[in-house]
Amino acid sequence: MTSRGTPSRFLQSVLQNGVGRYVCQLKRISLIFSKKAQSSLGVREYIEEGVVDFAKKNPGTVVYVSPQSCRIPKIVAEYLNGNVREEIVTAKPSREVAALVQKLSEQSGLDIIRIRKPFHTSSPSVQGQWHPFTNRPPSIGPIKPQDSQAQ
Amino acid sequence: MASSYLVSRGVAALGIHLQHVCRNVLLTQTREKKRWMKSYTLLMERKRKLEGPPPPKPRSHQPNWDYHAEVQAFSSRLQENFSLELLKTAFVNPCYVRSEEENRRKLGLEGEAAALSLRDNTDLRGRGLDFTHSFLSDWCRGNFPNLPAEAVAAVVGHLTSPTVMCHVARNLAVEDLAMSSQCPVPDEVLQATFFAVIGALHESSGAEQAGFFLRDFLVPQLIGKDLFEVWPVVNPMGLLVEEMSRRKQSLPEPRLIRSAGASTVLPLYFVGLYSDEKLLAEGPGETVLAAEEEAARVALRKLYGYTENRRPWDFSPQSQHPAPAVRALQST
Repeated sequence: MTSRGTPSRFLQSVLQNGVGRYVCQLKRISLIFSKKAQSSLGVREYIEEGVVDFAKKNPGTVVYVSPQSCRIPKIVAEYLNGNVREEIVTAKPSREVAALVQKLSEQSGLDIIRIRKPFHTSSPSVQGQWHPFTNRPPSIGPIKPQDSQAQ
Repeated sequence: MASSYLVSRGVAALGIHLQHVCRNVLLTQTREKKRWMKSYTLLMERKRKLEGPPPPKPRSHQPNWDYHAEVQAFSSRLQENFSLELLKTAFVNPCYVRSEEENRRKLGLEGEAAALSLRDNTDLRGRGLDFTHSFLSDWCRGNFPNLPAEAVAAVVGHLTSPTVMCHVARNLAVEDLAMSSQCPVPDEVLQATFFAVIGALHESSGAEQAGFFLRDFLVPQLIGKDLFEVWPVVNPMGLLVEEMSRRKQSLPEPRLIRSAGASTVLPLYFVGLYSDEKLLAEGPGETVLAAEEEAARVALRKLYGYTENRRPWDFSPQSQHPAPAVRALQST
């Protein structure tokens, strides 16, 4: 598919985040893993080593650790704007799980699709919109009220 | 109705295999190909298609929900020191208390036992509403000293309107925490809850901190908004004449400055407004009247100091600037 056909958006932030104060957009993260399965070994290691540090470092994020009997361990991240992202971490080492959790906590939660330009401004032109008289000298002398011209 | 008919018909049609499996699963469990599965799945799919998606469940009824931790995280996420008791009270709406008591009565509890010992947020939301209105009007008057009272009221009304407040509240996860009787929280209830949160902050951290909260979360919604998007003015020329006569300046005279393509489908006229032979403002338009109106709007924006090239508002963190009193740039 060409790039024109793919969904796209402009560069934006949720609620003009960072204009006033920065708010971490990750509100909730749940680690779903199995206590026995081989595939969630890395997640178990991460829970032993790093999850408490992560929770202490990010007091604005609620971390849930839920052991279930599942073969596919998942990380479910919920963002302030209501988006939910599920990341499957089957057979990933704890280092990669930690990196993934860190990445999820730094994202804004907006859809991850093509961004049209790497910059965005809400007032596209500083000089004003182009019109036929832009950069054109006034044709009949300086602009004056008509009465003074007549005198 | 249709779905129940479908289900009964499907169950009848499933025949012996389903009975065989369902009558007593533990006793007659067999390891064979589940031939009933396909029709059952298709049936459930058709049922879902007829009934539509299931009603939304509030986040608090879904797994992984710890109310206390969520409230604490809400407080520290916004970098505020809420008193948690007040914050929890702020999330309890009167409609929730009423529906809960109704539910208890239905379950057979009576009198004292049915009453919930929960304080609702009625007085907090009143306090929040008063504080928000007073702070935003002060902020508006401080930043735009020339703005008339109606415009200030319009700006404050825009910021405290249900659409803007609910947009902010939804993106701050107030909706998850708000306790309401209906599941997608209605706009009025969400707005009232957000007012109550502001009231709780005012109560627990004082007016200055609550003012910073409003400045950081509500005021940025004005960024990129034009004055006349927020404040609809039907007759800008009349307003301009009124303003000029109040300031004892000579009245604006509209003149056609430039025009192009008058006989085409895309004509363009430029109208300039002159006062004392000085150009006040010029505006483009497809007709002369539209151009005159646009020019009047441009002149009004310049008078009120709400032009696009004004100095940006001060959003610096409160620790660096304890008393931010920055005036808007008076545009030339």
